[in-house]
Amino acid sequence: MDKPGDLLLDIQHLHTAFRVGDDFYDAVDDVNLTLKKDEVLAIVGESGSGKSTLATSIIGLHNPTNAKVTGDILYSDLNLVGLNEPIYNRIRGNDIGMIFQDPLAALNPLMRIGDQIAETLVYHTKLNKEDREKRVLELLDQVGIPNPPRVFRQYPHELSGGMRQRVVIAIAIACKPPIIIADEPTTALDVTIQAQILDLLKQIQKETHSGIILITHDLGVVAETADRVAVMYAGQLVETGSVYDIFQHPTHPYTRSLLRSMPQADSDDDELYVIDGVVPTLKEMQVDTCRFAKRIPWIPEEAHEAHPTMHEVGPNHFVQCTCYKHFHFRDEPESTLTAQTEG
Amino acid sequence: MWKTIIRRVLIMVPQIIILSLIVFFLAKLMPGDPFTGSGKLSPQMDLNQIQAIKKELGLLDPLPVQYFRWIGNILHGDLGMSYAYKVPVINLIAERAGNTIWLSLFSVLLTYLIAVPLGVLAGRYQGTHIDGGISFYAFAIIAIPGFVFYLLGLWLFGYQLGWFPTTGSISIAADGLLAKFFSRIYHMILPAILSSVISTTGIIQYLRSGIIDNTQEDFTRTARAKGVPERIVFDRHILRNSLLPIAAFMGNTITGLIGGSVFIENVFSYPGMGKLFIDSMNSNDYPIITSLTLLFGLMTLLGNLLSDIIMSIVDPRIRIE
Amino acid sequence: MENKNMVDAVETNANTMSETPSGFKVIWRELRHDKVAMISLVIAATLLIGITVWGSLLNQDKVTEASLLDRFLAPGQDGHILGADPSGRDVWNYLMLGGRNSILIGVSVTLITEFIGLIIGTICGYFGGLLDNVVMRIVDFFMIIPTTLVIILLVKITTHYNAVTLVLIISAFGWMGTTRLMRSLIFSQASRDYIAASKTSGTSNFTIMWRELIPNISSMIITDLTLGIAGNIGLEVGLSYLGFGLPPDTPSLGTMIAYANDPDIITAYPWVWLPASLLIMVLALSISFFGNAIRRAADARQRT
Repeated sequence: MDKPGDLLLDIQHLHTAFRVGDDFYDAVDDVNLTLKKDEVLAIVGESGSGKSTLATSIIGLHNPTNAKVTGDILYSDLNLVGLNEPIYNRIRGNDIGMIFQDPLAALNPLMRIGDQIAETLVYHTKLNKEDREKRVLELLDQVGIPNPPRVFRQYPHELSGGMRQRVVIAIAIACKPPIIIADEPTTALDVTIQAQILDLLKQIQKETHSGIILITHDLGVVAETADRVAVMYAGQLVETGSVYDIFQHPTHPYTRSLLRSMPQADSDDDELYVIDGVVPTLKEMQVDTCRFAKRIPWIPEEAHEAHPTMHEVGPNHFVQCTCYKHFHFRDEPESTLTAQTEG
Repeated sequence: MWKTIIRRVLIMVPQIIILSLIVFFLAKLMPGDPFTGSGKLSPQMDLNQIQAIKKELGLLDPLPVQYFRWIGNILHGDLGMSYAYKVPVINLIAERAGNTIWLSLFSVLLTYLIAVPLGVLAGRYQGTHIDGGISFYAFAIIAIPGFVFYLLGLWLFGYQLGWFPTTGSISIAADGLLAKFFSRIYHMILPAILSSVISTTGIIQYLRSGIIDNTQEDFTRTARAKGVPERIVFDRHILRNSLLPIAAFMGNTITGLIGGSVFIENVFSYPGMGKLFIDSMNSNDYPIITSLTLLFGLMTLLGNLLSDIIMSIVDPRIRIE
Repeated sequence: MENKNMVDAVETNANTMSETPSGFKVIWRELRHDKVAMISLVIAATLLIGITVWGSLLNQDKVTEASLLDRFLAPGQDGHILGADPSGRDVWNYLMLGGRNSILIGVSVTLITEFIGLIIGTICGYFGGLLDNVVMRIVDFFMIIPTTLVIILLVKITTHYNAVTLVLIISAFGWMGTTRLMRSLIFSQASRDYIAASKTSGTSNFTIMWRELIPNISSMIITDLTLGIAGNIGLEVGLSYLGFGLPPDTPSLGTMIAYANDPDIITAYPWVWLPASLLIMVLALSISFFGNAIRRAADARQRT
C-alpha cells in the first residue's frame, strides 16, 4: 500500500558506469525511482545486479577516476549528481544516513564506539563535547544497546554482531537524516538478530518519518518490511510496484523465478528451484535486448521486446519487457499464459 | 593491557632458557674451554695432560652441572677470560656493546624519520610518479646485499669524497666531553645513514600497503558516509590505522640492526659487538664468541618483546581483558 | 545463513571462480608485457647462465695460481681485461669462477630450502592440528637463534669443511621463512570451497595437495624461489666476505670483495674489488626485480 508522504528523493535516468581498461560500462542502467517520507523502498536483486552500486551512487562515494554517474538524483532543491564535494559532505550523514552490511568491518577497529558515533556530530552539529557525549548515550539507548556508558568506551571487537549493527545504525541516524539507506543490513547477522534489527529500523522510521531505502537479496526481509519494491537485474529495473503487487502478482519472469526459488516450509518438493545460467558480468551486461532472456532459454525470442522498456501493468506497477506475457516455467505446460491483473 | 604484557614477558622466559641451552651446546662443540677461557689447554699437550686439565677445569663434569655452573657464573657477571686479550670477557663486551647500541638507536631514529614520510607519500599518491619512484627505491635497495651497499657507500663518501671518517667510533684527537660527543656522532653518521636506508625499505612498503589497504576498507567508507572531510578521513582513519602497526616494527628494526652489526661494523672497522665477534672468530677467542652469541640472541628476543609490547599497547584487539 | 534462496548458490559459485588464484602460466602472459620485468629477466638469465658456463669451463687451479710478477696490474695490461689482484691472478677469470661458485651455492641452498619449506608448509597448512602445532613450535625455536652468527660459528667449528657442508649449514637455518609462507598460503587455499568439493568427492589428500593446491600457489612459489636465489647468493657472498663462506682456496665473489677491507687496496686498486661488487649488485637487482614483477603480476590477477 502506498503511504502518503512528501517526496524525498527523485532519481531519474540514473546511469553509473565503471571503467574497465579504457572503456566505461554501465553497472546501473537507466534507473528511475522515488522515495517518500515514511516509506520503505526495497531494492532487490542478486550480487551483480547493481543494487549496491545504486546505493553508493546516491550517497556519492564512488571513486571519480573509476566511475561516472550521470542522470539526476533530486533531493530538496539540489541535484546530487555532480554536486561539489563540500556540499555533498554536508549532506552525507546529515541528510542521508547509511547503514552498511558488515558491521565489524564498517567500524574502525582502533577507535572507541563513542568516538565513532560522535564523529558525525562533530561535523554536522555545533554541539560541544559534553552535549555530544550526551547525545551519543541517548542514541545508544535509542537503538537498544544496554549499558550505554560502558559501550561508549568499548572497541568494536568487544561487541557482538547484533550490537555492532545497532551501533552502525546509531551512527546513521545520529543527525536525524530524512533519508536512510540500509545496504544489506541484516545479511551478516543471525536470523534472530535480523528480526530485531528490522524492528528497530521500523521503529526509528515511526519516530522520525524518514524514508528508508532497503537493499537486500532476501525476499523474506522484503515481505516483512517494505512498502514498495524495485527488482533489479543486471543493472536495470525489471519490476517496480507495491509489496503487495510484487508478492501477490509478480509479473516479470525474474521476479517470478525469485519467488519460486524461495524455500517453502509447506512444499512437497524435494529440490529447490534453480534459475538456469549465471548472472552476466559487467561487460556481458551491456546489451540493448532483454537481459534476462538468456536465463529462460525455453521462451522463444519473439516473446521478448527488441529494446525493452517499462510497461505499466497496474497502478504504479511497472514491468520491463513484454516477455512476461508469454512466460511460463519450464515445468509448466506451454499453454498456460500468465494472467495479468489489472489492479 | 598489563595482563597481556606480563603474559608476553613470561613467554620470554622459556625462550631465554632454550637460547641458553642452544648456546651451551654450541659452546661444547668449540675446542678448548669456552666457558672460562683459561689458557691452560693447548693442542701441544699430550692426551693425558689434556684430560687432567679438563678435569681440573670441570670440563669432564656431567653436562647439567657444567650448564648450571655456566649460568651461575653469568648471573654473577663472570663471563670468563678472553684468550686473546687476557681480560675479562665482560669488560670487553661492555665497551663494545655500548657502541653497537648507540649506532643502532641512531639508525632506528633515522630510519623512521626517512621511512614514515616516504611511506605516507607513496601510499597517498598511489599510482603516481611519486609512488613509482619511492617504490622503485624500496625495491632496489632491498635487493642489494647489505655489505656491498655499505662498502660502496664507504668508498664513495668516505674515501673518494672524504666527507666522513672511514674507521673507528671516535677520533683519538677529540678532547673534552663535547668534542668527544660530536666526534662519536661524526663517526656514526655514515654507517647509520647507510644502514637506516636499508631498514627504511621494509617500513616504507608496509606503510604504503597499509595505507592502500585501509583506503579501501569498509570503515573508511563509513567515515566518508558520515560526511567527514576527506583530509580528516585520511589523517584520522587511514593514516592512524596504518601508522600504529609501524610503531611495533621498532623492536624488529632494532633486532635487525643488531644482527646486521656483524657486517656493517666490519666494513667500517667500527669497534662494536659485531666487529668483536668476527675478530674473535679469527683469533679463536671462544669465550667471547660464546658470550656474544648469547648476548645477540638475548637482544633478538628483547627486540621481539619490545615489538609485541608496543603492538599490544597500540592495538586494542590484541589485549586480553 | 538459513534463509538463503538458491539465487545465492549461483552467487557463491561465481565468487569462488573469480577468487581462484592463478598458476604461473597465466602470470607469464601478463609478465610478457612488463618491459622492466623482461629486461631484468634477460639480464639475470644472461648473467646466471653465462657466468656459470664460463666459470665451469675454467680450470680452477690455473685461475687461482699466484703469479707475483703480475701483482696489481691495472686493467688492460698484459691481457688482463680487468687487471690483476694482489696475488697476480687475473680478475676477470677469478670473477667468472667466483661468480659461478657463488651462484651455485646460492641456487643449491634455495632449491633445498624451497623444497623443504614447500613440503613441510603444505603438510602443515593442509592438515593443521597437532602436527601443525608441533612443527610451528620447532620453527619458532629455530627463529630464536641468531642465524647469521650461528652459521658463521658452525662454519668455523666444522671439520672436513667444503662447499657441500656450507650449503647444508646455510640450508639448515634458511628453511623457516619459506615454510611459514607456504603454510599460510596453503592454509588460506585449503579452506576454500573447491578444496572442500574435492575432498567430499573422495579425492585422496595427496592428489589434492599435488594437483590442486600446489599448482594454484605456483606463482607464489616461483616468486619466493626467485627472491630466494637473490638472497642466498647475497648471503654466500656476504659470508665469504667475512671469511666464513667458501674455503679460502675456493674462489668466491665475497673473497674478492674482501680485498676492500685493506685501506690501501680500496682506493689505490679499485679494479680488484669493484667488479665483484658491481656484479653481485647487478645480479641481485635483476633477479629481485624479476621476482617482484612476478609477485605484482600475481597480485594484479588476484584482484580482478
